[in-house]
Amino acid sequence: MIPLRIKVEANAEQPFVVRLRSFEAMPGTERGACHPHDVCLEAVDANGAEYVGEGGSLRILGIDPSEIDGDVLLVNPQRGTADRIIRSSSPHNTLLVTERCDQLCVMCSQPPKKQHVDLFEHFAIAAMLAPEGATIGISGGEPTLFKDQLLGFLARVMRAREDLHFHVLTNGQHFDDADREAMHALDRSRVVWGVPLYSAEPDVHDEIVGKPGAHEKLLSNLAFLCRVGAQVELRTVLMRPNADGLPRLARFLAASVPFIQTWAIMQLENIGYARQNWSRLFHDSSSNFSPIARGIDFARSRGIDVQLYNFPLCTVPLPYRNLAPSTISDWKRTYLEACRDCRLRNHCGGFFEWHPKEHGYAGLGRAA
Amino acid sequence: MKKRLFAIPSLLAAGFLPAEVEAFPSKPTLTDNGKSPSLFDVFRMDHVYTLAGHRSHSSHRSHSSHRSHRSSNGGYVYRAPVYRAPSPSYAAPLYNPPTPAPTYQAPATPPAPAPLKTLPGNANRFKEIVREVQFAMLAFGYYNGELDGVMGPDMRAGLQRMQADYKLKVTGTITPETLDALKIEAR
Repeated sequence: MIPLRIKVEANAEQPFVVRLRSFEAMPGTERGACHPHDVCLEAVDANGAEYVGEGGSLRILGIDPSEIDGDVLLVNPQRGTADRIIRSSSPHNTLLVTERCDQLCVMCSQPPKKQHVDLFEHFAIAAMLAPEGATIGISGGEPTLFKDQLLGFLARVMRAREDLHFHVLTNGQHFDDADREAMHALDRSRVVWGVPLYSAEPDVHDEIVGKPGAHEKLLSNLAFLCRVGAQVELRTVLMRPNADGLPRLARFLAASVPFIQTWAIMQLENIGYARQNWSRLFHDSSSNFSPIARGIDFARSRGIDVQLYNFPLCTVPLPYRNLAPSTISDWKRTYLEACRDCRLRNHCGGFFEWHPKEHGYAGLGRAA
Repeated sequence: MKKRLFAIPSLLAAGFLPAEVEAFPSKPTLTDNGKSPSLFDVFRMDHVYTLAGHRSHSSHRSHSSHRSHRSSNGGYVYRAPVYRAPSPSYAAPLYNPPTPAPTYQAPATPPAPAPLKTLPGNANRFKEIVREVQFAMLAFGYYNGELDGVMGPDMRAGLQRMQADYKLKVTGTITPETLDALKIEAR
């Protein structure tokens, strides 16, 4: 697994953001191009790597500088750690805005916590230092609990960096018409809002997210997102409680929210609450793909783009494999022993690092 | 004499290399006290881009370290390492104060756009260069790991030893000086 947190020695009072530059044997990079928030590699020895920048120097321990060149770190000098909040070599960079959430989903991969530290100032600096053309994910918790800061952050960064794209995960519970102006201030072509909807039935949805009335609120806010012209990626995590309802959900989407950009059907991630509730929730799509197939067929027949996220290719029937891109983030992706000789491995997202070996799919094996 | 001149390069070509050698980029004696560019400077490899720790190549010319290694016959000179007893004036320090963590004071500049520009294929080129450096260091006895193009602790330690032995700036990184010494062109 790719480490997201590394050891750092730096003597400073407050957390800070820096970008690491090594300029080592890299074509086309110039040391003169150091930004005030950059630190440049000076020397490496057995104990660590020494970086020097305008703000002073710091030491990175336990990882070779060649693996972290161009990364943006949020350094916590008191604890001696740094989070690689933007990894330059990765297409999967996500800023975790808060750990608070107003829903409590049965399969939540990152159960919410009460405490909150506002890091938007640091995120703004970090986003400014991101690689050219990057897409930055925004996640939580529920990011729109801090809606004003979030929309302000997006507007400010997108104005300064016209090459950046954002993908914001939100439960869609907190928009209202007063946000219309703030939403219009964003370049809508560069923000995708990933919003979960689990069922066409209010009861089923509300039970899954643990919040009565969530379904109703969500539908009215999807309408709001439509009015401001936002790009919506509707996300449905596949679970036993909603698997059989997928065909009905597809009809509902085509009739009520046909403006969505994408409908993403997502396989369950065995972590957080989903791990506790695994036997009750996991739907083995390798042995029963039929409700998924019917949902997909209907939605596509109505012109909705459907994607399958986090499905190992061998669990998807051949006619639907082209809908399953490799979506599991690099740092939490793994492959099984059986995948070793699979010719589709490079196109396959594989498995979550924490996928249980014993109670997963019945039909696994080389896809090709 | 003639035989010997040929013998060494052909041994080299055949892959017979001493385990640890001192190979200095040589400089002929026929210079006017180092005022005009030496052959070393003339034939110094021109890397297309600048690497760690070096702003420009012009600074090379002032490095006195290049001047101190001479040999009359050109090419590489292989000598058994000479042991030098530590000078009597040297006293081992009795107490090393613990090194404090380096100080960092985040600049108070407001966030300004500074996109990281990465050229396509850079990662592969970096790997290629590292592999070449690994090969060269293997040949000179400073590395005996895999030629995998990956920088790791062994490479860092080997680079430090090599840089110290060759009187280069000891950084543990692939500097332009190091590439010059290993006769690797970074293009």
